[in-house]
Amino acid sequence: MTATITSPSAIAQLPLTIGLRDDCRFDNYFVADNREAVAALQQHAPEPPSASTQSDTALYLWGSAGTGKTHLLQAACHHAAMLGSGLDSSRATAVAYLPLAQASMQADQLDPAMLEGLEYLALICIDDIQAIAGQPEWETALFHLYNRIRLTGTRCIIAGNSSPHGVGLHMPDLVSRLCWGQVLHLNALDDEAVIAALQLRARHRGLELSEEVARFLWRHYPRDMTSLFALLERLDRDSLAAQRKLTIPFVKTFMQADRQALTQGA
Amino acid sequence: MGSSVWPQCLERLANELTPQQFNTWIRPLHAVEEGAALRLLAPNQFVLDWVRERFTPLINGILSTCNTENPHQLIFEIGSAAAVHPRGRGDIAATGLTRAVTGTAVRVASPKKGFLRKELHADIDHFSNLRREFTFDTFVAGKSNQLARAASIQIAENPGGAYNPLFIYGGVGLGKTHLMHAVGNLFVQRNPATKVVYLHSEQFVGDMVKALQHNTIDEFKRYYRSVDSLLIDDIQFFAGKDRSQEEFFHTFNYLMEGQRQIIMTCDRYPKEVNGLEERLKSRFGWGLTVHIEPPELETRVAILMNKAEQMECTLPNEIAFFIAKRIRSNVRELEGALRRVLANARFTGKPLTLDFAKEALRDLLALQDRLVTIENIQKTVAEYYKIRVVDLLSERRTRSLARPRQLAMALSKELTKHSLPEIGSAFGGRDHTTVLHAHRKIAQLRESDKHISEDYSNLLRTLST
Repeated sequence: MTATITSPSAIAQLPLTIGLRDDCRFDNYFVADNREAVAALQQHAPEPPSASTQSDTALYLWGSAGTGKTHLLQAACHHAAMLGSGLDSSRATAVAYLPLAQASMQADQLDPAMLEGLEYLALICIDDIQAIAGQPEWETALFHLYNRIRLTGTRCIIAGNSSPHGVGLHMPDLVSRLCWGQVLHLNALDDEAVIAALQLRARHRGLELSEEVARFLWRHYPRDMTSLFALLERLDRDSLAAQRKLTIPFVKTFMQADRQALTQGA
Repeated sequence: MGSSVWPQCLERLANELTPQQFNTWIRPLHAVEEGAALRLLAPNQFVLDWVRERFTPLINGILSTCNTENPHQLIFEIGSAAAVHPRGRGDIAATGLTRAVTGTAVRVASPKKGFLRKELHADIDHFSNLRREFTFDTFVAGKSNQLARAASIQIAENPGGAYNPLFIYGGVGLGKTHLMHAVGNLFVQRNPATKVVYLHSEQFVGDMVKALQHNTIDEFKRYYRSVDSLLIDDIQFFAGKDRSQEEFFHTFNYLMEGQRQIIMTCDRYPKEVNGLEERLKSRFGWGLTVHIEPPELETRVAILMNKAEQMECTLPNEIAFFIAKRIRSNVRELEGALRRVLANARFTGKPLTLDFAKEALRDLLALQDRLVTIENIQKTVAEYYKIRVVDLLSERRTRSLARPRQLAMALSKELTKHSLPEIGSAFGGRDHTTVLHAHRKIAQLRESDKHISEDYSNLLRTLST
């Protein structure tokens, strides 16, 4: 008997647009081997630094794609904004998250003028520094921002896909400054940890993802965390629309519908 | 005054926008509620324009649901929360002319408001920007910086005297800024009423641009011409900025005439800064010009021990030597490596041993090892002496090729872990005794020939940065 394949996406019932958001917090980051880095980031909260830790104003975080740099930077922003406010958002502190990669922002959003005046915020998180490496205007603007935050004491976290030396910056003055504070490396997750991280993310979305299904996804889809999390989001939406649990048969149906959509698109 | 309506807005905006939009554009805003007005302060014009253009309808919509009868009027301005942490002598609320702290918010450089809130009378308040921790006591002296240090001490004792201006130049992270602050701190210690201003050249340029924009150039001039000592960092950033150079030229002349002390730093010798007016270059050389070189091994060890002491840690000698041998380029990276080891030890609770330090610095050192290869050394040396790599590897023994070749061999022995036969082989199939000879010869020449010594230091710095 041949089963009739129905695309879950094609099912009439539309999912409600409410659902748990994938907010980036320290408590929903899958720590694995990165305990030290996460602890250092949590401690990198805006407060008057003591004389012995002055150079710790800036912290550099690096790791390959999918290690959760963006998640951690946004978590740090949230943590800092709420810190000292006693979770009272009326006293929330001004902080900024700046993703520099073209992929994260449209080209017209990128301008070194974005860095002006940021030294008066409590925390600045700059993501994807590699995206502007080799661009003199950006490197100079970051260098100047670094000098200014040293005077105001503003905390700063800069993330890139490689260490300060390997990220492709041309300005030695900037590189040496990035090496001054703590340089933290995020280790990529091993296979078992990827599966566990996927399950944790599903749990935070209110979705039940068995280990068996998680392994199935891991075996059949690109294994980087960014792709897997994006896949989870789609599965969440479709399973909600289909009012079905996330089972292997459901995922297979989903995959087939995906393939069909691809073929039709081609 | 804070805001009671803004928290509700924030909550709603967090739900309406993506986390990235919220963190990038909304979280940097500081809200001040003034009667029926909600003033949103953005850190710069860019963020202000972006938020105003894209989010005004959304924010207004939220405001109207918060207070249906009298919705708040939304006002955008440039400024920020005053929750910053002043540094230095305790009198630094901001980095200079452009900011003045009042109440709960700092409003700055708003074209409508004018950029100076402070009345500039004859008795001008100067923001020194000095960092207390940068003193002569915390500066580790060595062969590489002894002249610069001695000159700085002389100046601290006799400001505006013979060594005026003092021009300190050298590579990145070697302590130029530290020395400058040390002089400033000593001035203040001896005479608390003295007006010392430290600033980065970019701030001078920025202040001048704002002064021109807001028609307050006279205040700008009065501010910088009324200091007793002007310490200006990284003057190479004046390059190509003609109007700033012009203004700095006049400020410089004014201060010099009044025998006020000027100290400048630069990453190179004044004559070598492209885009700087000749009249400035020549003036920079009027006083004393001193060079800071990368610290030698013993100084690097002393710097590490000193820094560890400041961090209240006891650093075993063998770890200090290990880090100092591996990281040669500059003091910042040396401190960064130390900080990494100490943070790691604190986090894991493990004792500080050599093996522990090696493990903690594994990534950093592996990266350095990858960067420094014999091939890379040959290429760098050839470029430095403007010769071809093939000539470096050839049989030819003319002096113009033999010296660079010997230097490249000596650097290969020093910076890589390759065996001597491997190095010899990489230099056109030479014997390992040739490599040894080259190494000894260069060591000897570094003592007797200033040029070779300088070339060696420059190449070492380039290769280990």
